Amino acid sequence: MQTFRYPHFPPELSTVHVALFNTVTNSADIRSRIIRASQLQGPDGDTERNALNFAFIDARLICSLLHLQTAIYQAVLAHAQRSLRTKTVHSEILWALNPTNNASIRRYGVSDTATSLIVVRISSPDLPDVQQLMTSVVSGTLSSLNQLPEITDWGTVKKYHKLNDEPALKAAAKNVTQERIVVNEIVTSTVAMKSVSS
Amino acid sequence: MSETKSASLRLLEASEKISQGAEAKIYRTQLHDPVSLSESTTDGDRVLLLKHRFHKQYRHPSLDASLTKSRIAGEARALIKCLRSGVNVPGIRMVDATEGILGIEWIDGKSVRFLLGGGAEDDEEVIEDGDVPEGEDDEAEDEDLLKEYGVSEDALMNMIGTEIAKMHQADTIHGDLTTSNMMLRHPSSPKGLQLVLIDFGLAYMSTLVEDKAVDLYVLERAFSSTHPASEPLFAGVLKAYEKGVGKNWTAISRRLEDVRLRGRKRSMVG
Ligand SMILES: Nc1ncnc2c1ncn2[C@@H]1O[C@H](COP(=O)(O)OP(=O)(O)O)[C@@H](O)[C@H]1O
Ligand SMILES: [Mg+2]
Repeated sequence: MQTFRYPHFPPELSTVHVALFNTVTNSADIRSRIIRASQLQGPDGDTERNALNFAFIDARLICSLLHLQTAIYQAVLAHAQRSLRTKTVHSEILWALNPTNNASIRRYGVSDTATSLIVVRISSPDLPDVQQLMTSVVSGTLSSLNQLPEITDWGTVKKYHKLNDEPALKAAAKNVTQERIVVNEIVTSTVAMKSVSS
Repeated sequence: MSETKSASLRLLEASEKISQGAEAKIYRTQLHDPVSLSESTTDGDRVLLLKHRFHKQYRHPSLDASLTKSRIAGEARALIKCLRSGVNVPGIRMVDATEGILGIEWIDGKSVRFLLGGGAEDDEEVIEDGDVPEGEDDEAEDEDLLKEYGVSEDALMNMIGTEIAKMHQADTIHGDLTTSNMMLRHPSSPKGLQLVLIDFGLAYMSTLVEDKAVDLYVLERAFSSTHPASEPLFAGVLKAYEKGVGKNWTAISRRLEDVRLRGRKRSMVG
């Protein structure tokens, strides 16, 4: 897990925890827990919602740490400005990642078959044992975020962002490394500007 | 109303101011600071440039806010259009339309104006002293500047024409083409040596030959006013542009002639 600081944000939003889990075995279980938690009433509901108070993101759709951080940043900014388009800062990250306006959670959230998950928690600087909170939900191998580009499903990313016919991609087609730099740049920029894209 | 500063204004306060234009203040900053030393954060990824379209006192506040918002949105849309079209422009890193702040990728390099020995901006106060050449510079010195980037003046002109052609082929009009609004990315940066077009604050979409010709004319004037003996330089730009726009060149070049004539008449009258 890695932690990033944003001292200019209000304290309760100033700290971002990010972890990558590989070989995840309980994605279907996490997904159904999330659905059930949203319907549970009373203190049990609060406890369960608190235990699941993360963004769960399909790691195959993330190109780079910068791509992820850009979505997180825009979500936290929207929250700080009281202009969230979704219920929570965590669901807002999925909204920011999605180039269109539908199916953000279905596409970018946890699916039953996901084996690589990114888990994000926005908090104050003094939330203790965050990694412990994450590992108690996700059964998988905690991995370095350096591995992100190897997990990326570049074909699906290109499809979701409708990049296949773009001149930028055609120009870089001969060279895989070059193409990934171009895709990562377009995708990251798309996330950064989603709030003003018509 | 609470008077506490917004998050983005607090970010600006913690950033380094680089220049101040009539419309915007420019800052350099770093985001995504890791709490502990991390293996996976590339420093270059974290440096960005913030362009703040500050509040204009003379405008009505709500008009000012909506104008600022649409300028930010317009600049971001032009950038993404260029990125998708394979035009070298800075990537977008953050947008706060409410405060009028656009965060873009930091280009590690120098403006073409500087590399051609055109000195600092005359229309803005440049704070970063590293960019200001000392005293008069001669040809030899300019060549040295370019040598560090491993390009000749001719090659640079070729790169400029090629980038503008790609932009026009994507029906994007820059609106303020000058040698200050293009940078050469240093060959040692991860994306390598590139000619990067910047400052899309006045950009718009158009398929019109007239708009493309005027865009070129604006650059031609900028060349002749800031760089001595600019004619052969600009001819090099046009040569690469011609190659890039292919069959569209005939109409654009014909129109460029018209635009030049109009410009000359206007300056004789005025
Ligand atoms: N992405 C960038 N990376 C590094 N320097 C930049 C970048 N964008 C702009 N600059 C520098 O800041 C100056 C002003 O930026 P610009 O976008 O042209 O705003 P203005 O509207 O004030 O002209 C540029 O001339 C250039 O020297
Ligand atoms: Mg400028």
